Amino acid sequence: MSEVQAETPTVADFARTFRRIQAEIHKLIIGHEQAVEELLSALFAGGHVLIEGVPGTGKTTLVKTLGLALNLSFNRIQFTVDLMPADITGTRVILSGDDGRREFSFAPGPVFCHILLGDEINRATPKTQSALLEAMAELQVTVSGTTYRLKPPYFVMATLNPIEMEGTYPLPEAQLDRFLFKVRLNYPDEGELTRIISSTTGPEEAGIEAVFHATEAPEQIEALKRLVREVMVAPAMETYAARLVRTTQPQNSRFVSEQASAVHDEMVNRYVMFGSSPRGAQALILGAKVHALLDGRANIAREDIEHVAVAALAHRIMLNYAALADGIDAAHIVERVIKSVRAGKP
Amino acid sequence: MLFPSQDRRADEKLGRILGRVGSVRARLNSLALQHAIFYTLAIAIAGCAAVFAGAYLLSPLAFLAGTSALAIIACAGIAGAVGAGWRMRASAVRAAAIADDRAELKGRLSTIVALANQQNRGSLWAYLLEDTLGHQDQFAGARIEQRRVSRAIYPLAGAIVLAALAIPISKIKHPPQIAGGSGQDELTVDLDDLHLRPADPGDESGMQVTADPATMRRLEDKLAREGAANGEAGGNSLNQLVNRARDLAGHLQNRLTGQQAASKQRLNLRLADAGGDQAQNEIHRAPETPKNRHGDVAGQFKQDQPKSNREIDLPRQDDSRQPDSKSSPGGYGESGAQASSGEDNPGNHDNRATDRGIQHSGENGGNGGAAHGTGADPDSLFGAPAASKFGTEGFEIAIEARPVDQGAKGAGHAYVPPKVRAPLSLKQEPDEPVARAAVPAEDRTTIKRVFER
Repeated sequence: MSEVQAETPTVADFARTFRRIQAEIHKLIIGHEQAVEELLSALFAGGHVLIEGVPGTGKTTLVKTLGLALNLSFNRIQFTVDLMPADITGTRVILSGDDGRREFSFAPGPVFCHILLGDEINRATPKTQSALLEAMAELQVTVSGTTYRLKPPYFVMATLNPIEMEGTYPLPEAQLDRFLFKVRLNYPDEGELTRIISSTTGPEEAGIEAVFHATEAPEQIEALKRLVREVMVAPAMETYAARLVRTTQPQNSRFVSEQASAVHDEMVNRYVMFGSSPRGAQALILGAKVHALLDGRANIAREDIEHVAVAALAHRIMLNYAALADGIDAAHIVERVIKSVRAGKP
Repeated sequence: MLFPSQDRRADEKLGRILGRVGSVRARLNSLALQHAIFYTLAIAIAGCAAVFAGAYLLSPLAFLAGTSALAIIACAGIAGAVGAGWRMRASAVRAAAIADDRAELKGRLSTIVALANQQNRGSLWAYLLEDTLGHQDQFAGARIEQRRVSRAIYPLAGAIVLAALAIPISKIKHPPQIAGGSGQDELTVDLDDLHLRPADPGDESGMQVTADPATMRRLEDKLAREGAANGEAGGNSLNQLVNRARDLAGHLQNRLTGQQAASKQRLNLRLADAGGDQAQNEIHRAPETPKNRHGDVAGQFKQDQPKSNREIDLPRQDDSRQPDSKSSPGGYGESGAQASSGEDNPGNHDNRATDRGIQHSGENGGNGGAAHGTGADPDSLFGAPAASKFGTEGFEIAIEARPVDQGAKGAGHAYVPPKVRAPLSLKQEPDEPVARAAVPAEDRTTIKRVFER
């Protein structure tokens, strides 16, 4: 069990706990080191994660394993076309009391937990998808005029299947923006696949040991999240993050202010319809803070920001048809933006 | 929450870190200052060396153009060097960022310097200080910037070497001197068949032409006609501009090469009727004086007569219409206009006039002009028959001479004025001098008597 002091964890505590969780997850999840790190970074940064991957790459297993390792309450919603918002948030039902009286009572939905897995979220209608917005952004759910608070830590992981697009509803931009990171799970390489076969087809299943006590886990995780917020950021790093975000925005967009950006990128102007929102800059800094702590530092550096840039910005960039035609993806745009900003750094 | 003792210790650590950053900053700023100074000096020294060498190696116009271009380039270079030095200067934040990059401290120093003055630094501030001090060996001033002297010292050294190389040029390449300047007071030049042209005005050793007034008037007329022709061609103002520029460059070159006005020698050409076959072309050199600098005939020729004994005395190339200036009958008279009559040249027809013409032509023009009557002297009416070139054109005295030692300055392209020939008047009859013929002895007395009358 964890030795993390809930009140005053240190930088070393954070790094040690983080590595332990990683190690537990990798007992079941073979490969995907970067995805697991990004997933945990989003958790400790206080954000949510959108996981995109083809079927069979361990999306659901990853999330379930995380729930077990953290020893937090875990729910799963399989999104389908006929799923209704009340199926997520909960609804008021008529209950009969012992005295025979009937009254409305709120039956919480699966959203009331610490870790929520929304499996194939793009199969639900936008109305249902939007039911998660309030929970993700404000940690509360409003049903029939009554607001119900969610208990922290609250962590939503939604999965997307990028190849079965028929009968799906792309997530609205507003909802996409509420995910701190978008994590991509690619096919495992040959070595990883071999290990997956041997570990999942044998008689024994790997046991996951919880890193936290069930009763202390929420508090300890919240303490670690507070430590992340304490990491110091020099003004130059804030400027750098802002410049990265600003550079993802095409100059010809009507939503971009007339004030000239310090750096321009031709590729952005050609392929990007809408750049990152300010939430992208927040995601950059929060993710960088977690990465700095893992490196044993109490300050963020340029490298930390760049390390999380693709995960934090790619899903916030809307590409145009020219990009689709030329096979350009958002991750490529982000990498170009980093190069451009580095080249034109003050 | 930090206790006061912890706070004090944190301040001490902060002071040590900021002190190290300060030393890095001082070193960076010193290099920036050196960069600006060294490059400025290098550009200035190299520019001066180039100008100095150019003064010896280039002609005035090339020197002027080169110096102007060099001045512009040097100004731009110096401005660039100063600007670069200014941009290289380091604030504390920049010095910390540079130290972070070079010591791979991943923003620790930048963060500390940026947040040092903030009140609420967070709970990890002490950890950051301690962590950074753990790397203090990596960001010592000498490790972050090992150089104490800017690399700009190399261009400066190169410029000094260049300047040192330019000095021998002054010993190898002498400034232009007038030919014969070394002990030869008089030179005889053959100006036959040459056309009279303006001297190079930008040439400090340019020539001064003196002659009797009649000759000078004719020269003026000729030059005026040529000038008008040139003016019609539209090149007059441009020529004047070029000449002024050449003058300016010449002055500058003289200053740089140590050619002072006192040592400057001017070539004086005196056009005078030497009388008969005593025609000589003499070149004297006279020290240049402010006075003889400014005489101007047709903008080019100086008329004032230097009293120097170093002059160029030329016999007046009376007219090529005369087959021989020695005994041309009816040569030009006092002036070009009178010369057309070719006969009325009373008195003043002896060698005394010639002598005066040589030595005082600028002062007693009237007498000097009388010397042209030599051809009408009854005593010299009869001579050997003319052997030659009748039918040649009119007055042509070419003083294209620039008898200088084509040393350093002359090695450039001397100004060669265009050759202009003034057309004859349409009303003028073809100018065919009367050929000297053999006169029978029995007729001579009669003829002589006629002329005496």
